[in-house]
Amino acid sequence: MIKIDHLTKRYSDTLAVDDLDFEVKPGVVTGFLGPNGSGKSTTMRIILGLDHATKGHATVNGSRYAELRDPVRQVGALLDAKAIHPGRTARNHLRALAASNQIKKSRVDEVLDFVGISAVADKKVGTYSLGMSQRLGIAGALLGDPGVLLFDEPVNGLDPEGIKWIREFFRALANEGRTVFVSSHLMSEMAVSADEIIVIGRGRFITSGSVDDLTKNAEGTVLVRASDHDKLATVVASNHGVVHEANDDGLTIGGLTSDQIGRLAFDAGLAIFELTPQRASLEEVFMDLTAGAVEYGSHPRGPANG
Amino acid sequence: MASESTLRASTRAEWIKFRSVRSSLMGVAVTVLLTVGLGVLITTLIRTHWSQFDALRVATFDPVSSSLRGSLFAQFAVGVIGSLFITSEYTSGSIRTTLTAVPNRLRLITSKSIVLFLTILILGEFVCFAAFLIGQRIYLGVVPTSSLENGTVLRSVILAGLYLTLLALFAFALGMILRHSAATISVYVSVLLIVPIIGLFFPQSWQNDFMRFEPSSLGISMESPFAPSNSFGAWSATLVLLAYVVATLALAFVLFQRRDAGTTQ
Repeated sequence: MIKIDHLTKRYSDTLAVDDLDFEVKPGVVTGFLGPNGSGKSTTMRIILGLDHATKGHATVNGSRYAELRDPVRQVGALLDAKAIHPGRTARNHLRALAASNQIKKSRVDEVLDFVGISAVADKKVGTYSLGMSQRLGIAGALLGDPGVLLFDEPVNGLDPEGIKWIREFFRALANEGRTVFVSSHLMSEMAVSADEIIVIGRGRFITSGSVDDLTKNAEGTVLVRASDHDKLATVVASNHGVVHEANDDGLTIGGLTSDQIGRLAFDAGLAIFELTPQRASLEEVFMDLTAGAVEYGSHPRGPANG
Repeated sequence: MASESTLRASTRAEWIKFRSVRSSLMGVAVTVLLTVGLGVLITTLIRTHWSQFDALRVATFDPVSSSLRGSLFAQFAVGVIGSLFITSEYTSGSIRTTLTAVPNRLRLITSKSIVLFLTILILGEFVCFAAFLIGQRIYLGVVPTSSLENGTVLRSVILAGLYLTLLALFAFALGMILRHSAATISVYVSVLLIVPIIGLFFPQSWQNDFMRFEPSSLGISMESPFAPSNSFGAWSATLVLLAYVVATLALAFVLFQRRDAGTTQ
């Protein structure tokens, strides 16, 4: 169980985290979603006591991280897979980690085996690919058999097989009743691997809920093919509808239900060939939610002609 | 069952980390090579040229400190060991893993200091005793020699090893402050080499007062049975150097405690 209590973090003049307040519950995979630079990693570093909060605080199992006894046995974390001394072997890295929290040496071999890097355990970590480093990072997180796990962008650098493996692995950890908190900037990834999602942007809380809830509440669109698309677009626009997209396949219309569009078309004397309500994908919900909260977005209109 | 992470556990972890990277092992090898190897070279040269030494040089000749001169070169090797022990954590980013395992920062720094102190003390004493004994053996029959049965001689050899140890801790503290390998080693070398050169531009009276506070001068005082002119005695020099190390470590710890550890660059 992780609790974030009115957490604020300011780095000189940037507000990285702005009054975040939420809980991460055990037994489910909780996705922590936001664009790059939205404060996900900062929040995780504060949870782990690496960075100091400007205001508010974060607790794990009711205590601040620095006050946990044998923290590796309670919290497993993978922040940056490459953040290991490149000249040390994987086995020695894990042995030191185990020694610091009085975890028995045999556990090192167990986790190396589990993540599938036993064969290269005595090679220097600097020679590892990103995928192998990720696996080593996961081995480190599992070393103390902790009840709370944090992963920052764990899918980065994994091949498709590794991604499938890690999704199933998160699911299994959550099913064992552990708290699993996974950050990502990829909505599509969270849609398949998380049960609950917390969305932030520019350090601020945007929304949270189950994947189903988030898409249910989102505005759907309707795909329409009719005899005269230009005329239909005019009619829709004058009745508070929005044409999101117009191409050969038809018009994608928001703000109106399929019933309303059908009636409008009928009144305007247009023939309807297709009228399909479309549920918003999680990706679209995410784009909508974070539209104003992207730190480094690309601008569709060039700045020159602005 | 509910065993608390103790100082013992974190110190064991730091010992595993220290001995499992090549830079530490290289540093140890270079320290041996410089102290013992240069010791052999210097004492052999003195023996060969002894007949050409004038009366003053013969009268002021010190078989102890002359056999320990290599340690003044080895101070750079132990400095690199000390600084890399902490700066490599920042350059690799592993400080984050280290601190999630041992979030109590005072305990972490104490553990690292203990490992560094004990390792370099054993190494420093080993190389200094070896350099001394081999040097006396080379001098034997031609050049006057000293024996460890003499208390001040024994003190000089022991303090020469301690000098290396304290300098390694000094470099370690600098590394904690600067968090960058190249910057730390540059500052460390500057303190040992450039500060004495700057001192040469001061008037003689200032030099006499100022230069004895310089770490290398303190080192020479520590490893000499008789205090060189315008220098501290061996014990005073040890205390001054110890004060430097404690002050630098204290400043380093205050900064370490206050700073965020997550963002390294």
